Order: sequence, then structure tokens, then C-alpha cells
Amino acid sequence: MNHTLVNLIDISKSFGDQVILDELNLSIRENEFLTLLGPSGCGKTTTLRILGGFESPDSGKVIFDGKDITNLPPNKRNLNTVFQKYALFSHMSIEENIAFGLKISGKSKAYIHDKVKYALKLVNLDGYENRLPDSLSGGQQQRVAIARAIVNEPRLLLLDEPLGALDLKLRQDMQYELIRLKNELGITFIYVTHDQEEALTMSDTIVVMNQGYIQQMGSPEDIYNEPQNAFVADFIGESNILPGMMLEDKLVEILGAKFPCVDVGFGKNKPVDVVIRPEDVDLLAPEEGTIQGVVSHLIFKGVHYEMEVQANGFEWLVHSTDMFPVGQQVGIHVNPFDIQIMHKPESEDEEAIGINE
Amino acid sequence: MKKTVRNIYLGLILFLMYAPIVTLIVLSFNASKSRAKWGGFTLKWYASLFQDKAIMTALYNTLIIALLSAVLATVVGTAASIGINAMKGRSKTIMMGITNIPILNSEIVTGISLMLLFIAFRVTLGFSTILLAHITFCIPYVILSVMPKLKQTSKSTYEAAQDLGAGPVSAFFKVVFPDILPGIVSGFLMAFTMSLDDFIITHFTKGPGVDTLSTKIYAEVRKGIRPEMYALSTLLFVSVLVLMILVNTSPKEPKDRKTVSKRKSLQRGLRLAIPLLLVAVLAGGGAFYYFAGAKDAGSEKLIVYNWGDYVDPKTIELFEEETGISVTYEEYETNEIMYPKILSGAIAYDVVCPSDYMIQRMIENDLLAKLNLDNIPNIKNMDSIYMEQSRSFDPDNAYSVPYCVGTVGILYNKTMVHEPVDSWDILWDSKYADSILMQDSVRDAFAVALKRRGYSLNSSKVDQLIQAKDDLIAQKPLVQAYVVDQVRDKMIGNEAALGVIYSGEAGYTKRENPNLEYVIPKEGSNVWIDSWVIPKNAKNKENAEKFINFMCRPDIALMNFEYLTYATPNKAARALIKDEETRNSKILFPNAEDLTNCETFQFLGDDVDSYYNELWNKVKSN
Repeated sequence: MNHTLVNLIDISKSFGDQVILDELNLSIRENEFLTLLGPSGCGKTTTLRILGGFESPDSGKVIFDGKDITNLPPNKRNLNTVFQKYALFSHMSIEENIAFGLKISGKSKAYIHDKVKYALKLVNLDGYENRLPDSLSGGQQQRVAIARAIVNEPRLLLLDEPLGALDLKLRQDMQYELIRLKNELGITFIYVTHDQEEALTMSDTIVVMNQGYIQQMGSPEDIYNEPQNAFVADFIGESNILPGMMLEDKLVEILGAKFPCVDVGFGKNKPVDVVIRPEDVDLLAPEEGTIQGVVSHLIFKGVHYEMEVQANGFEWLVHSTDMFPVGQQVGIHVNPFDIQIMHKPESEDEEAIGINE
Repeated sequence: MKKTVRNIYLGLILFLMYAPIVTLIVLSFNASKSRAKWGGFTLKWYASLFQDKAIMTALYNTLIIALLSAVLATVVGTAASIGINAMKGRSKTIMMGITNIPILNSEIVTGISLMLLFIAFRVTLGFSTILLAHITFCIPYVILSVMPKLKQTSKSTYEAAQDLGAGPVSAFFKVVFPDILPGIVSGFLMAFTMSLDDFIITHFTKGPGVDTLSTKIYAEVRKGIRPEMYALSTLLFVSVLVLMILVNTSPKEPKDRKTVSKRKSLQRGLRLAIPLLLVAVLAGGGAFYYFAGAKDAGSEKLIVYNWGDYVDPKTIELFEEETGISVTYEEYETNEIMYPKILSGAIAYDVVCPSDYMIQRMIENDLLAKLNLDNIPNIKNMDSIYMEQSRSFDPDNAYSVPYCVGTVGILYNKTMVHEPVDSWDILWDSKYADSILMQDSVRDAFAVALKRRGYSLNSSKVDQLIQAKDDLIAQKPLVQAYVVDQVRDKMIGNEAALGVIYSGEAGYTKRENPNLEYVIPKEGSNVWIDSWVIPKNAKNKENAEKFINFMCRPDIALMNFEYLTYATPNKAARALIKDEETRNSKILFPNAEDLTNCETFQFLGDDVDSYYNELWNKVKSN
């Protein structure tokens, strides 16, 4: 699509004995909305701080627009950060907060005034110039933090879990705002979050990280539909992850029953992990299913029913618009293309590294 | 009901807390000098306070030291806080602990340690050492008030400022500094207050001629409380009160404030105030040094180290006028306080006035310079009795020239004692049970017991000392009290029949209560001599000899005698005393035969000293 803006090459970072990043490689294209997704301690924030210049890597290089900026201090980098806790300057007015970067770079008063006005309009906060940060709500403070960053027209905007402190409704509104802003401004966004839904909603590209390694990188659809290992499958949405045996191409044995699938190339009689999304499990009359079970739990979720079905010693999670009462005998069927087969990691290290070809 | 009780309780606590200070403040406006009588409202003590040059100099010193030490401690303390805040985990906790210890540490320990440190590094005690000491003990207070503010400040605001293009230093001053400013201001005010307030540490680290208000007040009060001191203490209390109010109110920002306007003006005010303050400090400091330098310009100097209030100040002024030598005058309370200061050599005193046994000790430890008697021709005015007595501690009369002398004897009330008093034995007479006063000090008490048995009061013979101890224990049931200064007041007040007293006090008590009579017992007693000596490390030995010679001049010795009322060993001065009764007073000027059995105290060595103390403890605890 566009040329590469940022390249992280073989980045390693440890704090004491703890390895945070291990030879991480990542490239980010111009105008991309890229999300680093993972549980806390996975290295996503450290990656962001290395990009921002707040941490320096133990080894490896940060290339920005073709130039090595690994050792450049934060104030010399053509990028801005929106911090997790907003980090507004509480003794300055909103206007002074937003004008901070422009003043330092020595812009004229008139220019700053116009820019601040424009930025405030962009985040829907016209008229808040003279307020103090503490008098604003969390959502408003967040908008100020974003305005303060984008007013400097950076090539790259880093966002460190910016919506983490907001309540659900506000968070959803802000997600749309961020997408709108990105499209209006044409700035590259690197977004850090542990919230998979946020990642799926906003990103062009999602990078799933765990224990300092990239587990999988791809579009939201790829990540969701084709998780490459149990970690990704488990982290992205709800799934049934089952141990299985690849009998031959396009045929897998799960819990003693044979399920046709579409995957090939795993070899014969190989143990694998099988991912089946809850909405892909079809409940039928007992005799119509591949295996049989009994409904053990039932919850109404609004859009669908959530059920648990005991079958062949496994508790299946099922989302369905059809309701089956608790105690009902059911048959379970899964379409071949809804079965996702993954390599089974043979050690803990391999589990962390993932299968990232 | 409950509320009333609560209010009464609260009132009582407040009364107990503030009654002393209110008393002081009220007295400072009392026209009468008496503490017991209200003589009408007046401001005259405040007026005369501000006319007192010495006090105003002390005030000036206090303010300069407080300002300079507060500013420097604030800078150092803030920098230290930033460093500590950047530390992680254990080392941070340990550092905080280390910086807090000086706050909890006893001030006297801090004071003495600082003094020892300065002495060890041969820093001359003076203005600069007070300043260094104050900076040192103020730093922990600054850290204590800046740290919490730093902890509240999120690290990300600092990073945000850098992210927006500010360099590390500019990011600190633009973003972190305003956030911690309230902590810095209150740290500064706290340091200023602590410095303003300090006595103990200043006392140990100050040099000759430099006084802060607290050490000045202490020195003055020792001589008897002047009403000006009430006024001064009131002013000190009020200024500390104002500062504490500032410390507790200034950092708080009004919570309801939503916009910037009000704070802007405050900020502008601070921006203006801080440079102004700095300019004031610098100008003040400069002026001070200019002032101090100007005083030094008269190159001839003399540092006198003397007992508190032990010279008529007018004689010092006369000396300065006549010789052009500028005198720095320092005081001590006891020989034991003076001795280590001379021993340390931290301050090169030129003339000191120790007592007999201490002179002996100083000679033994090679701390004194031999006098050039050609420069002290007036020594001829000395009564030969005292020159002879001096030989017991200064065998060749080579190191010391007597200044004040006296004896220890029995003061008795003629209305209560109807028999001739001429022996220490009367203090063991059960007739006078519970109306005998003894001196509460080991050597004085043992001198009485030893002399009574005909032994030397410098005895170090174990059997003699044990006997003296047993005698004292036997006497104990008869003794009303072991006291020091109260002998005088109790005898004047007819509270006791007999008391052991110094002859210098005897004259005064006799004037106050004509029924009192002083006698030196026939077994003999202690005769004490305070003499001028010159320490070996004196820088102005010739000036010191000029000073001693001046003090031996009859007219000057007379002035000092009239001021002090202690007996003078100066024959020529005695001849000038107009009042015949005084001139011929046997109490003040005993004959040679009265003194036949009298001895001066000698330094007996540390082992014997501690044996004396051991026995004395047995007497006291029996």
C-alpha cells in the first residue's frame, strides 16, 4: 500500500534478569493503524517506549523514515505520544497544554492560536481553552491529550492504552473518534492495548504479542478467523480450544470423533490444537450431530444465547440464536471450514515464540 | 453537657500550651522591670531593643544565615529529592531512611559532631561554620517536603514534555518544577524557620564574636533577664508563627478553581518574589561581608574568652579606644566547657580566664604560652599573697596573672546561731539539723569534709577520702539541701541557719540580710583564683599581653571590682575603693593569716577525679 515508515530491527530489551523483548522485528507502513495487542508484560508498552525514545534497546535498531533514530532523545523525534494517564500539565490551561510543543518549536503566536483552535475543534472541545485539566472529565482530558499530540503534525502518533481509564460507552465513542481522526489527518498510528475488541474495531493491522515475541501479525479478520496458535486463539475472542489428532489431510480426530476439515500439510497422525469459535458450533438433534452431548448451562446474552454443552468429556462453548434448555440432548456439528487446525507447541519456549513464519 | 466538657478540656490544653508564651508577650509590654508587678503598657523595651547594636547585629546574622542556608538547603535538598525519587526499590527506601535520621537525631549530637568535624578539618569556627551546619541540618527538611510532591507527580508528564520537544532540563523546569513548587516553597520556609529557631547546633558551631539571636538571648539571659529579652523573644515567636502559617497555607491551591486567571497572578507573584528574594539575600550577604571586612580593617585584633558577664563592658571599650585594638569577646559557663575548645585549637583565642586547677591542667598539657612579663609591668600591683597562692598551680608565676579571687566559707544567721562560728565542725552539730546547706558539687563538698579533719583538700589518699565520705554520710541527715545558687536566696530568706558559700556571694547576702555573717573556718578552706592566661596558639600574643596589663591597671581593676563585686587581688585597686567598709572587708580581702591553711584546688588526674565522683555518688545515694 504505502512505503515503510518505521522498521524495528532485532530489538532486544531486558530489565534485570527479565527479558522483555527478544530480537523483535516489526515494520510499520505509512498511514497504517497498527495495534500492538497482548496481555500485560508481553512487551507491547516497552516496544512503544523504545519507539518514543523513553527506553533504549539493549541491542537492535529503530529506523524511522530511513534514518537510524535508535539513540535520538525523545524531543528530537518526529513523533508524538498519547500517554496512558493523559499526562496533562495540571498547572497549565488547556490552551497552554496544547500549545506546549508548538511554543518550544518556536512557532508564531498567530500560528499557535489558529492551530490550537483547530485542534480543539478536531476533538470537539471548542471553548475549553482557559479551563484547567483537573476540571475536565476523563474523556475530555483524553481528547486534550490527543489534541496536544496531533497539533504538532507528527508523522507517527503513539498511543499507549489511551482509552484504558474510560468507561465502556465513552470508550466505544472514542474508538470511532480515533478512526475518524486518523482518516482526517493521515497520520500513522501505533496503538497499544490489551483489549482485543478495541484492536479488532480500529486496526488495519494487529500484532499479537506474548512474552516478548510476536505471536501473529495480520488484519483483524486474519487474526480472528485464522489464529495461528492456541495463545492467539485464546486471546482473541472466545474459543473452544481442543486437543486433536490430524489423521490425514482434511480429516481431524477430536474427542474420539472424526471431523472433516480443510487443512492440509500437517502429516499423518500428528497431534494438533483445534480451534472452533463458539458461534461456529451448530447444535442439532442428537442423531444429526458428529458427537452428542447435554446442555449444562444457558445464559441469555441479548444478541444470542450462550450455552455450555458437555460432550465426550469436554465443555463446549456455544453461541446460538436458537435456544436449547438445560438437560436437553443435542448433537454437535461443525462445518469443515470453521475448524482451525494449529501446530501443537512442543515446549514452553516454542509456545512463547509461537509459529510465526 | 458533653460539649461543655469538651470545650473546657480543649481550653485547658490550649491554656497549658500557650500560657508561658502569653506571659512572655505580656511581660514584653510591661513598663515595670519587675516580673511580678504590672507597671502599665509600654513599647520602650522594643525601642531599646532596636537601639542595641549587639542585638541588631545578631538579628542581622540570624536573618542572613537563615536566608542563605534555606536557599542553599532548598537547592541541594530538591536536587537530592529528584535523585532519590529516580532510585528504585530498596535503595530508595534506604536513602529516605538515611536522610530522615538527622531529623530524629538529637540536636546536641548533631551539634557536637559538626563541631568535631570542623575541628578535624581545621575549619575555623565562625560565620561560615554556622552556615554550613545550618545547611546540613536543613536539607532533610527540604527533602521531607519535596519528596511527597515528587511522588505525586507522574513521571509521564515529564516524558510528555520531552515528547513534545522539550529538552530534559527545560522539561523539568516547565513541567515538573511547577508541580513540586509548593513542596519546594514549604521546604524553603521550613528550612528558614528551623535555621531561625536553632540554638543548640549554632551554639556548638559558632566562632568568637558571631552570635545569632538565640545564642545572644542565651548569653544575655545568663546574666539576668532584661525586659528587652522578652521583647526579642516575642518578636522571634511571632516571626516563627507567621512563617509556620505561611508553610501551612501557601502550598494549597483552592480546589474549586476551574480557570487560570487567579493562579496566573499568583504565579507571576512568585516569579517576581523569588528573584527579589535572591537579590535581597545576595545584597544582604554582600553587605554583611563588606561590613565584616570593614571591621577587620583595623588589623590589630584580640579574641578574649572569658566567663559569662565577668568583665565590665566599659573597660573593653576603653581598651579598644586607647590601643586601637578591636576586641572580639566570647563567653563560657564553666571551665569544663572552655577546656575542650582550647584543646581542639579550633579557635585561636588570645586571652582566657580559667580557674586555678584548670590552669594547672592546661600547663600540664602544654596549652599555654609563657607570658613576657616585660609587657605586663602592672603585675606589680598584685597582692603578693595571691602571687604566692598561684604558685600551687603555676609554680614560677610564668603563665598566669590573677584577675578575681575568693574563698569558700560558712555563712550563718546570727539570729539562729548563738555561738561563735570558727570551725567546719558546726556543720556536723545536730542542733542545726535540717538548717544546714551544703554545696552540691563533689570537690566543694569533699573540701569541707577533708579540711575539717585537717587534711589537704587536694588529698588523693584513699583512707582520708573514705573517712571524708563517711563523714559526709554521717552529716547527711542534718543537711536541709545540697544546692548551688540557692544558698544565697535561702540564707537571705532566713530558710537556713548555716550554709557553705563563696565569698563573692557573701558580700551581697550581707547587704540583703544584715543578720548574715561570713567566716573562713580556722581549719582552712579553698581559696580560688581566676587568672588571665594566653593559649599557645594565640595569634595576637602581644595584644593579649597589652590587654592583661590593661586589666591590671588600678583604675580598670577598680571598675571591674565595682561591676563584679568579686574580690580583686589588685592591691593598688583596693586602695582606690572609696567605701571604707568595703575596702576593709575581711570577707573580700582576708589577711595572710586568714589564708594560712587555705589551698587552691589542683587538678588531681582523671583516675583520682573519678574516684572522687564514685565516693560522692555513694554519699548522694546513701
